Amino acid sequence: MTRKSMNRKAKSARRARTPARPLRAKKPYAISTLVAAAGQALALPMDASWHSGVTFNLQLLFKHAALVDEFSLPDDSEPAPVFRA
Amino acid sequence: MNFRFPTTASLHRCSVLETTAFDFAWQTVGEIATAFAAGRLSAQSVVEATFARIRARDPLINSFTAVTAERAHVHAQALDDARARGEPTPPLAGVPFAVKNLFDVAGLPTLAGSKINRDAPPASRDATLIERLEAAGAILVGALNMGEYAYDFTGENLHDGPARNPHDRGRMAGGSSSGSAAAVAGGLVPLALGSDTNGSIRVPASLCGLFGLKPTYGRLSRARTFPFAASFDHVGPLTRSARDLAIAYDAVQGYDPDDPVCADRIAEPLTPLLDRGIDGLRIAVAGGYFKCRSAESVYGVDRVAAALGVNRDIEIPEAERARSAAYIITASEGGSLHLGRLRTRARDFDPAVRDRLIAGAMLPASLVTKAQKFRRWYRQEVLKLFAEVDAILAPATPCTAPLLGQQKFILGDVELPVRANLGIYTQPISFIGVPVVVVPVPLSPLPIGVQIIAAPWREDVALRIAHALEAEGVAAAQRPPIREN
Repeated sequence: MTRKSMNRKAKSARRARTPARPLRAKKPYAISTLVAAAGQALALPMDASWHSGVTFNLQLLFKHAALVDEFSLPDDSEPAPVFRA
Repeated sequence: MNFRFPTTASLHRCSVLETTAFDFAWQTVGEIATAFAAGRLSAQSVVEATFARIRARDPLINSFTAVTAERAHVHAQALDDARARGEPTPPLAGVPFAVKNLFDVAGLPTLAGSKINRDAPPASRDATLIERLEAAGAILVGALNMGEYAYDFTGENLHDGPARNPHDRGRMAGGSSSGSAAAVAGGLVPLALGSDTNGSIRVPASLCGLFGLKPTYGRLSRARTFPFAASFDHVGPLTRSARDLAIAYDAVQGYDPDDPVCADRIAEPLTPLLDRGIDGLRIAVAGGYFKCRSAESVYGVDRVAAALGVNRDIEIPEAERARSAAYIITASEGGSLHLGRLRTRARDFDPAVRDRLIAGAMLPASLVTKAQKFRRWYRQEVLKLFAEVDAILAPATPCTAPLLGQQKFILGDVELPVRANLGIYTQPISFIGVPVVVVPVPLSPLPIGVQIIAAPWREDVALRIAHALEAEGVAAAQRPPIREN
């Protein structure tokens, strides 16, 4: 097997491994739980009355994220900002 | 002395403004500069007329948050004195302009539309774009209202009140460069600077019926402007003509080491290129996701396409997903930027902005990185399209200006929240930083904008098309029926 064909095979294997499983919050309260936990972890002093608004917005972000996450990309794809030393 | 104007008062008490022989309220940048150079008017007379107009009209549209009267008069006098001494006249001499209040103005706190930043010390130096415009002879007259921390498409500001649409003061000016658009459309200044992260120049340009330029990412310096989502943040001009966009752009372009994103490219003056026309340019209409579902946006795009003789569509692949990725990255970068203020001053945010920023700060990094990977893929796919075409037409907004306070609008058969969705056609474009000119298409009762999208660094293509449409009368900034107290 030539080096070129090995590289091609390895690349296609990487593509094949790329997960396409869509992102779904399994339980309706998962985002609400995340908001409460992340608020504490990030030391955000959240008033209880803000919880529903933040949860709504995080749910919306997860909906958008699901659309992006279900798009299959190869493992070796680079994020848009590229660091240059 | 700098001072603030009161917010809206006596909206419906009207009397018609007497216009002078030189109609300052609706002259273009080019006309004012030409008149000054020819000695037909003084810079002081322009400044006095501008402040008189702001005093009379701004209570109606609430576009200014500060005026810089003292420095404007000093600058104007210096221009008049220099001309009297026979010194060369700079290209924008005597042209008044104002800036979105996220640009640093020496001596003023940089509000960025917030309550919190009122406690910040005054800026010690002007933003680079202000320095460059003033070096070209333009005169800064004030800072302009905007959506809080630029996270806004509506122009409604809880702290300063909404900037009102001059075409119908009961309607949104659009955001977040709301004051920039209202001040230019209302005839207060012929030129304003705004910023555009996801559509904040293009949305208000569309709703207020103006020309707006969002240049290529990295083209114009953002030095000493308050950021929002740094990897999307652009700055640019709003004007009442395509030529004015080119004149302003030419005055401010060029490398600036103070903005790490600003590209080290030689300035490419565009004003001399405008009259080259559009022969030979390959133009298509964006299909799929961008196919409009509202009568107004269909009319706008069809009118422009017909005038240009465009009869082909082109599909921008995965545009809906691109908009989602832009939404995610924006929320994450914005949440990160404001994390400290969310910990210490959360009650001083507009609750609608605060809740979105907190949610963005909580977004897992794994999802943001995926969006950034998608962003690179999408950019490569869109750039391929520019091998086939030179420019793509797309609607700027899904509707004309909504009513102030309006929460929902109907697009096709779907009801959508206004705040998040006025930018559905702009977000997938700024997501990859390509240049866009919005042209206003007159429509009764309210105007609507069309995006002319070009390849990176080809602002010239978009501006030539905009100029041609204006010459044909297809694109025009219509004068609103503002009457003063």
